[in-house]
Amino acid sequence: MSDITQKKMEQIAQMWNARGKGLITHMALEIEEVSTEGVRVRMPFNPDFCVDAEQSLLHGGILTALLDSVFGLANFVAIEGVSTMATLDLRVDYLRPARSRADVIVQAHCFRKTRHIAFNSGSVWFAGHEDAEIARGTASFALTRGETSLFDAMKKGKTS
Amino acid sequence: MDVQTVNANVSRVPFFRFLNFEVRSLDSLHAEAEMTFDDRHIGNPIMEYYHGGIIASFMEATAAIAVQPDFADVPAKPINLTVDYLRPGVKGPLFARANVTRKGKRMASVSVLSWQTDREKAVAEGLYHFLLV
Repeated sequence: MSDITQKKMEQIAQMWNARGKGLITHMALEIEEVSTEGVRVRMPFNPDFCVDAEQSLLHGGILTALLDSVFGLANFVAIEGVSTMATLDLRVDYLRPARSRADVIVQAHCFRKTRHIAFNSGSVWFAGHEDAEIARGTASFALTRGETSLFDAMKKGKTS
Repeated sequence: MDVQTVNANVSRVPFFRFLNFEVRSLDSLHAEAEMTFDDRHIGNPIMEYYHGGIIASFMEATAAIAVQPDFADVPAKPINLTVDYLRPGVKGPLFARANVTRKGKRMASVSVLSWQTDREKAVAEGLYHFLLV
């Protein structure tokens, strides 16, 4: 974590924990590890995200949403001077049925960044079962460079 | 399979209730659905855009219903997906239309289009595969 400035860490913590509404808040994501090499995030089990009556089988879509969110975080950490970013495309392979009430762990990183585009990949598994990946995803993001950071834009509110 | 029966099935799936959508029309190869905007769907809290993962989830749900509208227990098993995000999904209803391009014995391929006020201005386009066995 030494390659991340304390300031940036604080910004990330604020951005993710103090936004108050939206899916990321609802997923109650906890950041476990952050570096320019990649990020690891934990999503606590939530019965709302299941498809079965017993509420032990997660819908694939929530894993897709999780990957999309964590890719955004990985880009924010790995790339300096990004004002906004938008998901361009996303591919997810569902490798196993996501049947468990364990927390979900996502590991993601930005494997290539250019002026306009960031490329990401990530893996998903249940806590304690790192050897049994349940999903894997890749995505590309369109970056808008600028002085105003994503965090500053969020603090200032809707200005554009 | 009538729309009322399918919506009754939809309302039994916890995650489908979380998404909060209703099937509007259905035939042997298509399904069309409408999702109501909610704060928990937001990805960008400043602009109040839909989260890309919510759009992909809604499209997956619509695709699964097009493939297996009469699902008994859980919706059709997804294998993988690719989504192209074309425009931001703004605050308001979101629509999806799933078209089953091929349904074999073991696999189905489904293309899905998502839009808001104008069908010609797609928010996202996706391809989904399902395992039928």
